[in-house]
Amino acid sequence: MPSVARRRTLAPYAFISPFYLLYALFLITPIGIGGYLSLTDWAGLGTPLWVGLDNYTRLFGDASFLSAVVNTVLYVLFSVCVVVPAALLIAQGLNARGLRGRDFFRLTFFIPVVLSPIIIALVFTLFYDREYGLFNAALRGFFGWGGIDWLGEPSWAKVSVMLLVLWRWTGYLTIFFLAGLKNIPRELYEAAAIDGAGRVRSFRNVTLPMLKPVTAFVAVTVMVGTAQILEEPMLLTKGGPGEATLSVAMFIYREAFTRQQLGYAAAAGVVMFVIVFFIGRAANAAFGVGREK
Amino acid sequence: MSDVTRRTFLRRTGLIGGGLLAAPVLSACGGGADRGPAVTSGAVTINFWTHDPGYVKTFTESAKRLSDAPNGAFDYTVKATQADSEALVTKMVSQGAAGTGTPDMIGIVISVFPRVMTGGIGKQLLLDLDSLVAPVKDDLLRTSPYSIDGKLYALESDTCLSVMYYREDEFKKNDIPEDVGTWEELAEIGARLHKKTGQSLGTVATGDNTSITNAFLQLLLQRGGGYFDQSGNLILHSPEAVEVLDFMAKGVASGFLLALPDPYGAPNTAALKNNKLIAAVMPNWYNVYGLQTNVPEQKGKWRIRTLPRFAGGGHIASNLGGTGFAVLKDKPNTAAATELLKQTYLTKEGQLLRFQQGGFLPTLKSLYQDKDFLDVEDEYLGGQRLFDVYTPASEDSPVFYQHSQLNVLIEALGGPMLEALQGKKKPAEAIKEATAAYNSKKGN
Repeated sequence: MPSVARRRTLAPYAFISPFYLLYALFLITPIGIGGYLSLTDWAGLGTPLWVGLDNYTRLFGDASFLSAVVNTVLYVLFSVCVVVPAALLIAQGLNARGLRGRDFFRLTFFIPVVLSPIIIALVFTLFYDREYGLFNAALRGFFGWGGIDWLGEPSWAKVSVMLLVLWRWTGYLTIFFLAGLKNIPRELYEAAAIDGAGRVRSFRNVTLPMLKPVTAFVAVTVMVGTAQILEEPMLLTKGGPGEATLSVAMFIYREAFTRQQLGYAAAAGVVMFVIVFFIGRAANAAFGVGREK
Repeated sequence: MSDVTRRTFLRRTGLIGGGLLAAPVLSACGGGADRGPAVTSGAVTINFWTHDPGYVKTFTESAKRLSDAPNGAFDYTVKATQADSEALVTKMVSQGAAGTGTPDMIGIVISVFPRVMTGGIGKQLLLDLDSLVAPVKDDLLRTSPYSIDGKLYALESDTCLSVMYYREDEFKKNDIPEDVGTWEELAEIGARLHKKTGQSLGTVATGDNTSITNAFLQLLLQRGGGYFDQSGNLILHSPEAVEVLDFMAKGVASGFLLALPDPYGAPNTAALKNNKLIAAVMPNWYNVYGLQTNVPEQKGKWRIRTLPRFAGGGHIASNLGGTGFAVLKDKPNTAAATELLKQTYLTKEGQLLRFQQGGFLPTLKSLYQDKDFLDVEDEYLGGQRLFDVYTPASEDSPVFYQHSQLNVLIEALGGPMLEALQGKKKPAEAIKEATAAYNSKKGN
């Protein structure tokens, strides 16, 4: 082949090769190494000892891991069933015609996302305190009763983490919905009104269908993100009380960096990767993300 | 030259990619800045990793003094890296695996030390300090938390003696004797006090597993129990453990002890500020890091005393926390770092400097009788002579035996213990359950 023609053939590959090299270096290689480590017993130094599927066998019999999976599933369900609809409703409110101070509200809802997690943890630890906390004080003020041990009682600790997730991420997701709402033609609402549709019906028959691509994107992102939740339980409860708020990502962190069981942690990481991957694929298929109508 | 097919191109790209990946790995295996001739004198820069600014101050000052000394072999510069205690060990292990970039000296927090006991990490990276401490071995207070297979790999930086802090003004106001003899008597007084004023004389933690178990361990050691014995056998399932947990659970139920998610966090500070918490069992460092930091306005109102005994026996003091300083072995600066550690931690001058710079209690028994320490008065504690309390405490404090699986035990114990503290489970059941869970988890 003449050299000019050969160069032309190679040129596209040369242009795209940096991406694939970096992709291989920073994604495929770590995944491969993680997969290999999951089949070994390794403390981080020296030669990993091949143990086959032992780590996986032990993992599925480990009560702590199963507890972490259950907690994570609860967090995911809460995020999808509560946080996403809450974000949509707030966006709907912010999109109302004639709303004054819209930018102020947007800023207010977005602030939790940019606040340092450390500050959030400090403030919320105090909010949730049984004796001096804001929440119990409010409950006492309004209802004359407020002795909830938010962070010390296992079931309330889960609720506390979920409320923090709600507070932290709802505003962020609202921005996506608001952008989607802005793109819905006004004519559709006008046509619906002419047909006699009220606000609820317009919302159900115009807003929701038109927002489907945004909702799908948000739902999938939230599912995958929450399945890897680490910061909120780590900072608020450190997985406690006991293991009541332990998430899978925290479990992996704990095994790797407090017990130095890197092979075992890698096995948990592989399991989490597989679960998140299939959740993502299933959600994509269910919501039709990326598909033309 | 033949045509380049897509397959050929991908193969070649793969080779280039593989080369790129292999280069840093091979370079790491080949060694780097950590290799070279040993520095035996002259200028030396010690890479020093710690989680606590107090240690940076201490070692920097100590290095300066040694450099200025007329017969000093080394002219030290301390390059300090400060980070979270867990992160420091993670980074040390990663750098150890890479073969370069490890520190010359590192402070390893006692609760993190089990990590270096795992997989031979400590033995591979850290210098065995047995020969260094041989001349003063019998004078050292704590070596067991930083020993692996009988060899010492880090020097304790602070004896971390647990004593009872109490508000002298509140005790007087409520007619509480300052010299109550036993925990059982104090618990009765505390229950009456709580009923009358809502105040408490101590805390238990209900948050994460480490916090929950720390308060328990402190009292368990005092009572004469422990988690592991010297040979590494689990000894948790003991009458002492059940007794201590029962004592704590009853204390929470009566209000004598205040349940808080975090014994060092904002709610604890609020309890101190509101005079709701007027006593606490805490180590010596709580004075500076707990009280002086959070309630400076209560200066002069707090005092310390040795712990009331348990009626069933035990000690008058306990331990909680600690940081062991280790030297990385087979590095050019190993000798210089060892000398710095020795002069800072194994001499009276070094121990006095540590106490003055960071409030760290001596780790040599003999210094608890030394006039320079005995005369120390603490302004925050109303001018109290500290060693009137710490000297007898040092003579009757328990031994804590470290174990590579300590974190597994903490995970196993946290949940059942919390249930016992909340009155949902009998203490004996909780201890039994925790022991069974540990035995099942330790193989993981």
